[in-house]
Amino acid sequence: MMRSLLALSVIALVATVLALAIGSVTIPPSELWAVIQGKGSMLHSTLVWELRLPRALAAFATGGLLAVAGALMQVLLRNPLADPYVLGLSGGAAVGALLAMLSGMGALLISGSAFAGAMLATVLVFGLAHGTGSWTASRLLLTGVVVAAGWGAVITLILALTPSYKLPGMLYWLMGDVSYARTPWPALLVLALAIAVIMPLARNLNVLARGSMQAAALGVSVRPLEWTIYLLASLLTATAVTTAGSIGFVGLIVPHMLRLVLGNDQRIILPASALAGGILLVLADTLARTVIAPEQLPVGVITALLGVPTFLYLLHRSR
Amino acid sequence: MRSRWLSLKITLGLLLGVLAHPLAASETQRCAVDDAGKQLCLTAAAQRIATLSPGATELTFAAGAGDQVIAGVNYSDYPPAARKLPLVGNHTRIDVEALLALKPDLIVTWVTGNPPAQMELLQELGLPIFAIEPRTFDGVSSAIERISTLAGTETEGFAEAERFRTDIAVFSEQYRHAEPISVFYQVWETPLMTINNEHLIGKVLQLCGGVNVFADMPRLVPRISPEVVLEADPEVILTGSVEGARDVQLDHWKSYPKMRAVANNNLFYVPASPISRPTPRLLEASRDICQKLDIARDR
Amino acid sequence: MSILQTRDLIINVPSRADGFPLSICIESGQVWGVLGPNGAGKTTLLHTLAGLLPARSGQVFLNNQALIELKRRAIARQLGLVFQERQDSFPATVLETALIGRHPWLSPWQSEQATDLQRAQQALATMDVDHLSERLLSTLSGGERQRVAIATLMTQDPNIWLLDEPTNHLDLHHQVKVMSLLRDQATLNKTVFMCLHDLNLAARWCSHILLLYTNGDACWGEAKTMLQPSALEQLYSQKLITVEVDGAPVFVPVCAGQ
Repeated sequence: MMRSLLALSVIALVATVLALAIGSVTIPPSELWAVIQGKGSMLHSTLVWELRLPRALAAFATGGLLAVAGALMQVLLRNPLADPYVLGLSGGAAVGALLAMLSGMGALLISGSAFAGAMLATVLVFGLAHGTGSWTASRLLLTGVVVAAGWGAVITLILALTPSYKLPGMLYWLMGDVSYARTPWPALLVLALAIAVIMPLARNLNVLARGSMQAAALGVSVRPLEWTIYLLASLLTATAVTTAGSIGFVGLIVPHMLRLVLGNDQRIILPASALAGGILLVLADTLARTVIAPEQLPVGVITALLGVPTFLYLLHRSR
Repeated sequence: MRSRWLSLKITLGLLLGVLAHPLAASETQRCAVDDAGKQLCLTAAAQRIATLSPGATELTFAAGAGDQVIAGVNYSDYPPAARKLPLVGNHTRIDVEALLALKPDLIVTWVTGNPPAQMELLQELGLPIFAIEPRTFDGVSSAIERISTLAGTETEGFAEAERFRTDIAVFSEQYRHAEPISVFYQVWETPLMTINNEHLIGKVLQLCGGVNVFADMPRLVPRISPEVVLEADPEVILTGSVEGARDVQLDHWKSYPKMRAVANNNLFYVPASPISRPTPRLLEASRDICQKLDIARDR
Repeated sequence: MSILQTRDLIINVPSRADGFPLSICIESGQVWGVLGPNGAGKTTLLHTLAGLLPARSGQVFLNNQALIELKRRAIARQLGLVFQERQDSFPATVLETALIGRHPWLSPWQSEQATDLQRAQQALATMDVDHLSERLLSTLSGGERQRVAIATLMTQDPNIWLLDEPTNHLDLHHQVKVMSLLRDQATLNKTVFMCLHDLNLAARWCSHILLLYTNGDACWGEAKTMLQPSALEQLYSQKLITVEVDGAPVFVPVCAGQ
C-alpha cells in the first residue's frame, strides 16, 4: 500500500514538471533545465518561477484539498455521492465572493469574503442540523442540501442584479479557475496540516464508514469525531474555494477512483486523495492553459473531461 | 453570377441609401436600415423614443433627439440629461409592461445586447424596432445619421456625425506618422481578458499609433494567459478605470519589474465608460489614449 | 472477569409505559438469552446495555462503574456487539472487516500488527469464512455475513459479548457451531448476552433467560425456572407443545386449526 502512495508521489512530481514545461510560451526542455539551474533567460525564469510554479502549486493544493474534503464528506455522510459542496459550502463562499465583486472590492477582499461566506454556511448548517438534538447523518445531509438550494437562489439573485460588465468575472469565479490563486502557500499549508490532523483519526474513519452504531461499539466517540470531520472538511473546502473558486467534480470523483483501485482504508485513501486530487488539477490546469493557447479555458471543463472517462473506465473494470 | 449579384446588391444599397437620405425621403416615409439589416419605415418622425441600452441612449441623444427620448435602461447615464429618464429595466431584462405603458413610437435596441425573445415579442406587438451596434468609427456616425433620420432631427444628427468623422480623421492624420508603440489593453484582470483589432478599442489603439499585441486573436474579447503578455513585453499597458473605484487593476503587473511597461512606469488608466461605448465619446477616449501613448513615447 | 449490571433500568421504547424496571446482574460464565415477541424492546435493551442508547431511567454498570462515565474506547475493550443490521455504503473485504475488531486495542498511530492479523484469520477460520478473506462483504450471502460479524466480535475479544440474533440467516450446522462457540466462551469466563427468536436454541444453550413483554414487563432467572410453557405461551400469545429431546425441552407451536 505504501507503494501506491510512492507511485502517486512520483506522478505528482512528473505532473508538476510538466506544468512547468508547458504553457502558452514554448520553453524547450534544454532551456527548462537551464532555468532550473538558474541559468535561463530572464523571460523564461519569470515564466517558470513566478507564473507556472505558483500556479501549479496552487492547483495541486486546491485539488488535494477538494479530494480530501470529498473523501471526508463521503465517510461523514456514509454516502458515496457526497462531495465537498453537498452541504452548501460553496454556495456560501460564492455568495460571499459575488457580493465582494458586486461592491467592487479587490482580490484580497474577495478571497476573505468567500472564506467568510463558506464558514457562515458551515455554521448555519451545523446549527440547523443540531437544532433539537436528534442528529443523524441523513438529517445533516438534508439540511445541507436544502441550505445549498437557498444559496443557489441567492447567487441567481445576485447575478440578476449585477451590471453586465461585472458578469464575466463572476461567472468565471463560479466555474472555478486557478488563475484566481494569488499565492499557493495558505492552501498548501492547510492541506499539510489537515493531513497531519486526520491521519491519526483515519482508522476511526474506517470504523465510522461501517455506521455510527458499529463505530461506537468499537470504541469510537462518534459525535465528536463527526463534528471534527465536518469542521475539517469545511475548512478544507473553504480554503480550496477561496483559492480557486468552486471547481466541481474533483471532490466527488477522486476518492471514488481511488477506492475502486485501492480499497477503502482511509489511512491510504486520505493521503492518496491529496496526491491524486492534486495531480488531476495540475494536469487539468496545464491543459486548460494550453489547449487553445494563448487563450485560456476554465479548468472545471477539463477536470470533468479528464475525470469522467477515467472514472467510467475504472468503474467498468471493477467488480 | 457573383458579380451580377454584387452589382444588384450595390444598386439596392444605393437605392436604399438614397431613400434614407433626408433630401430624397418623402415627407410621409422615413426609412433606415438597422445594423441587423432590417429596414424600418416610419410615417412620421418618431416623437417618443425608447432606448434599450446605455449606448443606444447616448447615440440617440447625439443624433439630436434627446428631447424625444422617453425611456432608458439601467446605466443610461450619458449625457447627464439621460439620468432623469424613466427606466424600463436592465438591458438584459426589459420590463415590457413599463415599456408599453410609455407608448413609444420608436424603440432603439442593441443587436447583441438585448434578449432576442423579448425583442421578438415587441416585434409581434407591432412596435417599430431599430437595432444598432456600431463596430467601426464610421458605424458610429452612420448610426447617428440613421437615428436622426427616423427622429426627424437630421440637421443636428448629420452635423454631429460629420463632426465625429472629421475629428477622427484629424486624429488619424495627426498620428499617421507617430512612432509605433506596442500596447496591451487589459479588459479584465481575473480572468485576464483583452481585445483584438476588430474591437473598437483596438481601432482606437491603431488610431493613436499603438500596436495591439493581441491584434490578430480570433475572438473579439479573448481570455489569455499572463505568460503571453510577459512574452510580448508590451511598452504600454492600458485599462479602463471605473468611476468611483480605486485603480488597482494593473497592480499585479508590478510584480514583474523587468517588463518594459512596468520599468518605464507605463501602466495607464483611462476612463472606462467612454471607451467601452461606441458613441461620439470615443473621441474623448481616443484623445486620452493618444495622450497616454505620447507620454510613453517620451519616456 | 467482568460484570454487567443494571439498576432500576427502564429502556426507552418510544411511546411505551415504563413497565417493570430491570435490575439484572450478568456475570462471567453465564449465557443469557433474551426472549420476547417483536417490538418488545430486545434490541433496544441490548443497545442500552452497550451504552449506545440512553436509558429512560436507571443505570447500567460495567464492573461497578457507571457506563455513562466511561469512555467509548474503555467500554469497547470490555464489551462488544454483533448488530442485527449492518451498513455497508463502502466496499470492504472480509479480512478488513474482521480486522476492525482490533480498533479499540490500537493507539491512533499504530497499525495492525502480525498478531492482530493472526487473531482475525483465526476467528475467520473458526467461523468457516477464512476462504472468503479477500471477497467483498457485499458479495457474500446473509449467513456468511453473519459469520463474518461474529468473527469480527471474536477478533475484538471483549469479556462481555452482546449479540442481536446471532443465529440469523445461519444454516443448522452453523447455528449449532455459533451457539457452542458462545457456550465455550462462557466457560472461558466470558459473559454472553443475546437476543434470540428460537426458543429451543435458548432452552438448549442458555444458562439464564430474560423474558421481555410487549408492555414492558419483564422477568428473568435461571433457564430451568424460566422456561415454563405457560409463561412462554403468554409471552408469544401462542399455544405450545413441550417435549423433551436429548435432555432439553423442545417447544413446538400448536397450529391454529388444532
